[in-house]
Amino acid sequence: MLSRSALRAASSASRTAIPISARTLASVATSQVAPSTPESKKPRIKKFQVYRWNPDQPEKKPYMQEYELDLNQTGPMVLDALIRMKNEIDPTLTFRRSCREGICGSCAMNIEGTNTLACLCRIDVDTSKPSKIYPLPHTYVVKDLVPDLTQFYKQYKSIKPYLQRKDPPTPMKENLQSVADRKKLDGLYECILCACCSTSCPSYWWNSSEYLGPAVLMQSYRWIADSRDQFKEERKAALDNEMSLYRCHTIMNCSRTCPKGLNPGLAIAKIKKELAFGS
Amino acid sequence: MVRLTGIQRDVLSLYRSCLRMVREKPMESQANFREYVRDEFREHLSVSKKDFATIEHLLRLGRRKLDTYSQPGVKNIYR
Repeated sequence: MLSRSALRAASSASRTAIPISARTLASVATSQVAPSTPESKKPRIKKFQVYRWNPDQPEKKPYMQEYELDLNQTGPMVLDALIRMKNEIDPTLTFRRSCREGICGSCAMNIEGTNTLACLCRIDVDTSKPSKIYPLPHTYVVKDLVPDLTQFYKQYKSIKPYLQRKDPPTPMKENLQSVADRKKLDGLYECILCACCSTSCPSYWWNSSEYLGPAVLMQSYRWIADSRDQFKEERKAALDNEMSLYRCHTIMNCSRTCPKGLNPGLAIAKIKKELAFGS
Repeated sequence: MVRLTGIQRDVLSLYRSCLRMVREKPMESQANFREYVRDEFREHLSVSKKDFATIEHLLRLGRRKLDTYSQPGVKNIYR
């Protein structure tokens, strides 16, 4: 029977001692049956450098704080590591998270230089290098890893991301769409608006007030391409100015970084094609 | 009178807008609002005039708070 002191020794959180939660007890209890307990494996200590900034002390400049975790006790994803850091080492660490399965888009952050979702990004098991976690680049920071996405949401609202029809609705009948037309929306509707692509685009960094950014442009193409929508010409006309669409110079950082594997660059190219050769 | 820098003018312009917002509020609660505005500005008097990052951050925060409190539905403010 393992004593409490042995459990504490086995704990891998290497900052000032914090009482071990019942969670650790549960994991040890089940593994007592198995021949190899977690304690018999050598702890793999991984260092994480996390961007920290507190708005309650605005004069104190942002800094990187280092945490150490045993990867043997942590789940495989960066979000698991962040949650362990918050629970066991530093409760003041602040970040957004919700679904832990890559569908809500809350945990978007810059991990090792790439914008991804923390819940889908595997921890690099190379323990010789620290892992660097920053908030989404070129965004105002609310606190620690939380970006201010109000401008992003305002831009999304401005493209009117809802079905617009000119005909009055026929009662008891849906707006029908052929299978081929529905296929055109594949790769567009799956966007979770995590803002990873827009905040990876240098053009969006330099012109975020007027350029809409790849995420919003992909959604505007999703509504342009939808056969059920009847305001196609108005949607196209809204983009037909110098800044909203044509600040895109096909840098293609957006498609490279999309955590869902979508292709905003291609959607933007399709909009440009529609505007140039459109009916 | 020393020439004011751009950022000093921004701060003064925000303070002026806040005071004008207070005048739009109902008479009984104007004193509360004015006290709140003055306290908010007084809190950060110690920030150095060269610390542009902090000043700009506080200006953004102040403008956002002004947008919220200037809405006609906000009738009074309690401390």
